[in-house]
Amino acid sequence: MHVGEGDRWLKVGFVAPVLVLLLCVNIFPLCYSIWLSFTNADLVGGDLQSVGVLNYSFLFSDPRYAEALRTTALFVVGSVSVELVLGYGLALSLRDRFRGKAVLLTLLLIPMMMPPAVMGVYWKLILDGSYGILNQLLAAVGIGQPQWTTDPDLKLLSLLLIDVWMWTPFMLLISLASLNAIPSYIYEAAAIDRASRWRVFRRITLPMSAPLVGLAVLLRATDALKQFDLVMAVTGANDGATQTLSALLYQVMFRDGKVGMASAYSYVVLILVIALASVFLRYLTQLQRRAGAA
Amino acid sequence: MQRIPGCVSLMLSVCLWAGTVGASDSSLTIWWAQWPPAAGLQELSKDFTAETGIDVQVHQIAWPAYQDQVFLEYGNKTTAFDIVVGDSQWIGRGASKGLYLELTDWIGDAVDLAQIHPLAQRYLMEYPTGSGRIFAAPCETDALGFVYRRDWFEDATEQAAFQAKYGRALATPDTWTEFRDLAEFFHRPQDKRYGAALLSGRGYDSITMGFQPFLWAFGGSWGDRDSFAVRGHLDSPGATAGLKFMIDLLEFTAPGGTSADYSGVLDAFTNGSTAMALNYFPFYPGIVEGMGDQAGFFVVPGHEGTRAISLGGQGFSISTKVAESQQLLAKRFIAWFQQQSVQQKWITYPGAFTANTALLQSAAFREAYPFNTTFAQSLDHLRDFWNVPVYNELLAANSRVLGEALDGSKTPQEALERLAVEHEMILRGAGLGQ
Repeated sequence: MHVGEGDRWLKVGFVAPVLVLLLCVNIFPLCYSIWLSFTNADLVGGDLQSVGVLNYSFLFSDPRYAEALRTTALFVVGSVSVELVLGYGLALSLRDRFRGKAVLLTLLLIPMMMPPAVMGVYWKLILDGSYGILNQLLAAVGIGQPQWTTDPDLKLLSLLLIDVWMWTPFMLLISLASLNAIPSYIYEAAAIDRASRWRVFRRITLPMSAPLVGLAVLLRATDALKQFDLVMAVTGANDGATQTLSALLYQVMFRDGKVGMASAYSYVVLILVIALASVFLRYLTQLQRRAGAA
Repeated sequence: MQRIPGCVSLMLSVCLWAGTVGASDSSLTIWWAQWPPAAGLQELSKDFTAETGIDVQVHQIAWPAYQDQVFLEYGNKTTAFDIVVGDSQWIGRGASKGLYLELTDWIGDAVDLAQIHPLAQRYLMEYPTGSGRIFAAPCETDALGFVYRRDWFEDATEQAAFQAKYGRALATPDTWTEFRDLAEFFHRPQDKRYGAALLSGRGYDSITMGFQPFLWAFGGSWGDRDSFAVRGHLDSPGATAGLKFMIDLLEFTAPGGTSADYSGVLDAFTNGSTAMALNYFPFYPGIVEGMGDQAGFFVVPGHEGTRAISLGGQGFSISTKVAESQQLLAKRFIAWFQQQSVQQKWITYPGAFTANTALLQSAAFREAYPFNTTFAQSLDHLRDFWNVPVYNELLAANSRVLGEALDGSKTPQEALERLAVEHEMILRGAGLGQ
């Protein structure tokens, strides 16, 4: 046996288990669910028949889908933009060294480390219209009693509030890392040139931190697109005002039992996510090029 | 090798022997939601074990997850349960998908059907409704009913004030119009007192169950049960008037009362703020325990001579995905449970209700709990939602579209017209009707 051949088998031996695992847990389910999306598969079994593109065509006439798409878009845009502004703002104010910075940072990061489903349950109690501590505090200062989890105008806002509370620390963390990565000599050169604070922010801080912050936005946006835990914990899967795409998929798959239809729905979501991520990644690459050129 | 001391070895042998003597050869697993009647069933089943040696385990699952877990379990080749205590609406899905064992040929010989209330037979046992094909036996027969603050109603000052304002005595209502007056009278938000709590939540079926008494009493219906036509029934002037009346009543609920599920309604009453609350009877033992004579009960009101009440409750169904030997054990348990003597004990457990007509009329039943008389009076007015295989999609549409009407984003007419179209689409999609 040649030495080169032995090396090749060794490589194959190392890679094969991972490939098999990937095939079993990723590729096979993916292909299987594509096939299911063209059938009448039911959660509880029964005769499996091909229905062609019926599931896909039904999707576009289902008013729930359009509504869930709108709710998800509102949630993603609302949560990620607020988290970005707050996280980046906090990072800017925390980038300099000061006494107790480590403790403060640790405290600020706690919400991010909590399980979202558990936090959803806690927040449901906090936001309860009758017993919730938030309304009791508001009553103490003479403000009305908003029905956070039952008022149709406030339900989505409540979910946004919880999401922002949970994930602003993530934006803070990445933003802080991106700000700390900017070399100090660039700021020193700007100071020598007597650049104003606004100009330094606009021409140095923002463009040089943008690629990493952009990546954080991408990660948060894809995560928010899948929003499920908070919806389930606070308002439930079937509330029209807060039914995100994931909640709708749960409803169709596990409650209506329509596995084929849920597979079709999820593929359209997948295509949307891939399309959005591709556009965003292209934009990020451009930003990185510009930052590199600068 | 270290040897086990003689005394330890002896003790182990004794324990093993004792374990063998105590264990029964066969066992049954029943799945039900987590609530007092399920705990009662577990207790009652000890008598069955004593008689037959068959161990019975009642596995309780939290209500919000119950339906999901049952049907997810049915996705397997075999189910972990032999018997499922399924909601009345599930029967169509269970029967038509081959999940529930058909009991038609067996049940007539094993159970005295003449003893079972005809409406319980119709809605809890049969699919299609009225076909005579039986897929379940009654376990918990249930109905909606009102609980009210008896102490407020019996307060002399309140009685005088009500008499002065409405020109009649302060008493429990017989009609929805009387109910509205009472809700208005007791609604004093400045004192944190509210007139009523109604079912309006967006979860599983609470908004549907809460709307039905209005829908039917005002002359509407979910549709024609033979042709599955919905338009002309659900969007009829009567149905619209019913929904409008319900929405107007929500003005007299506590903040958040436009989206209150079963637990929300219970909370509104048990926190002492609400005069009248609508819920299912099995939830009331807790109220009696906590509030005693302060709480009274009355039958769901009617409108212009029509009174219709949402049926609740669940029946025993045997899983087709267990061995035939287990199905035989399950049949044995169901037949045992339906016996008069067993039913007599069953109704002594908190929240446990029977479909046995003789027992329902007995003094023993009516005196067992303060709400039992009201429950027995309610049974003759029971009606149920669709129990077709696509019931859950219909419920989900109700939660969404009726919810929009309750939230004010659609008028009652717009909401019911939309809902009728959606219901017909769902039913046609399932091959029901033309």
